[in-house]
Amino acid sequence: MKAPYLRAFTLFYLLFLYSPILLLPIFAFNDGKVVAFPLQGFTGKWFGEMFADQNLRIAAKNSLIIALSVATLSTVLGIFAARASVRYRFPGKAPLMGLIMLPLVLPEMIVAMALLVVLLSMGVPLSLFTVIVGQVLICTPFAVAILTSAFQSLDRSLEEAAMDLGETTWSTFRLIVLPLVMPGIMASFLICFTISFDEFIISNFLGSGQPILSVYIFGQFRFPAKVPSMLALGTVLVCFSIILLGFAEYMRRRGIAKAGGKDSGGFL
Amino acid sequence: MTSDQPTMIEFKDVHKYYGDYHALRGINGTIKAGEFFSLLGPSGCGKTTLLRTIAGFEDISSGVIMIDGKDMAGVAANTRPTNMVFQSYAIFPHMSVEENVGFGLRKDPRSKEDKAKAVDEALQMVGLKGFGKRAAHALSGGQRQRVALARALILKPKVLLLDEPLSALDKKMREHMQVELIKLQRQVGITFILVTHDQEEALVMSDRIAVMFEGEIAQLADPETLYRRPATKKVADFIGTMNFIPATILSESGNAVEVEAKGLGKVMLDISQAPVASGDSTVVGLRPETLTLLYDDQKAPERETDGVIDEVIYFGDMTYYDVYLGGTDVEVRLSMRNVPGRPVLDVGTRVRVAWSPTALVLFR
Repeated sequence: MKAPYLRAFTLFYLLFLYSPILLLPIFAFNDGKVVAFPLQGFTGKWFGEMFADQNLRIAAKNSLIIALSVATLSTVLGIFAARASVRYRFPGKAPLMGLIMLPLVLPEMIVAMALLVVLLSMGVPLSLFTVIVGQVLICTPFAVAILTSAFQSLDRSLEEAAMDLGETTWSTFRLIVLPLVMPGIMASFLICFTISFDEFIISNFLGSGQPILSVYIFGQFRFPAKVPSMLALGTVLVCFSIILLGFAEYMRRRGIAKAGGKDSGGFL
Repeated sequence: MTSDQPTMIEFKDVHKYYGDYHALRGINGTIKAGEFFSLLGPSGCGKTTLLRTIAGFEDISSGVIMIDGKDMAGVAANTRPTNMVFQSYAIFPHMSVEENVGFGLRKDPRSKEDKAKAVDEALQMVGLKGFGKRAAHALSGGQRQRVALARALILKPKVLLLDEPLSALDKKMREHMQVELIKLQRQVGITFILVTHDQEEALVMSDRIAVMFEGEIAQLADPETLYRRPATKKVADFIGTMNFIPATILSESGNAVEVEAKGLGKVMLDISQAPVASGDSTVVGLRPETLTLLYDDQKAPERETDGVIDEVIYFGDMTYYDVYLGGTDVEVRLSMRNVPGRPVLDVGTRVRVAWSPTALVLFR
């Protein structure tokens, strides 16, 4: 090894990044109210407490409703945008796509505040719906990025071949394009779902105090007695997220392989 | 191929613009029914664009394209009596071989059994009997091409369009498929239109060839005419090898033109027999195989010229010689079959070259 410092740095970097997450399951199974070493012994009671929490269940249900809606809407919008950007040339395409992708780099706090001001001045009551609207704005760029790569790996002559063999534009899209980009659509859906599920800022600003999982967890951390069961919840969510993201990446890669294209990026 | 076949496709002053780019510049011509027709030219000459306008994938800016007597203006690709074999083959990767081949039968009112039979027949025709259940992505290049052919032919189109279908195959496979395609075309009797940049492929396969440069048809003729009597210097240069020898015109009277060709001397040409081709200067052209080296006491049947061998290129069955003619700096390439009793000569050997005035093409 020519550069031992680089190896050490990489190791330190990864540890710093991921070891806090490892603490979650450790303390979630720790038989003590205080989150500190030494460990007190093994217990599953925090998980029991978590499942017994009525408000938590409402929050989880709300979060699921939001995440499913956001993933569906963002992916549908992403399909339109990605298809248009890959297939068609039209005036103002570059600035338009730039505007669609902009929320990716805008501070979410600014977006959330701006939306709050606009919604309130328009007299729109804050609800789960307003949270969904805000999160779609944040998630759509991710959907567009994933779906653009899916549409790009699609050979244009496949569509022409279908048209040549007697299909219409729509039936070509249904029979050829959709099945071949379906893995990309699944990946987009799952990633948007994950982003939405643990999104905090917009949920907090536009949620009007509705119990939403991320906001609820933040609130519970004020009570020391609730912390261990929140760690248990965190453990469940981390596992859930890893499984979803892994599945999404698997679908994306399979899609590219199926369409016979080359991998041109992705999130994992 | 007889010349009294009815017209299948007719181009009338077809133009195509991409923005400012003038891709097709006044295409005229006809393609006959049952003909194996090639569009030949270097990349960017508009041959693929022309093919795509026949298929209906590109609109034309002006002019008329008629297929089987019908104006194709406003007729979409999915209702034209043409089917295409794409350069990439465009095999649907998420379908099996038989699903690919049967794709065009989706709206066919026939029963499932009849359609399955049609698919089997199409697969048998291209030599893929029993491959129906295979996944499309598990096929080799040659097999994919056969699937693409079967898929296009199953609809019994009036015209089959082939966009450089052999360019992705290796040399052996390509030569094999050339012969197969010719056989297939004779068997089905459908008009084939092939786009290729490979002049050898076009000569081998076609009944007639349109040579295209920069959006225009430079010459439309049968392979032999193209090769022996090219209409322009560019065509002569693009197809095969042609020796160009500077010349001056001494006299003209009717069909008799007397020229002085550098290294060859004075030649009388009968331009009724070999029409004058266009070029940017006055030159005469000779194909390498029309020049012969004379051995020992051999006598030239018509004319002969002295020369010195400058380069020897050995090809096994053939040897190519580059020879300086008659003490000039004019170098010509000639080809000799390597037969017993005819040794390969060395560089610097003084030789006699036999040639025939009737093989000369005059460019001016």
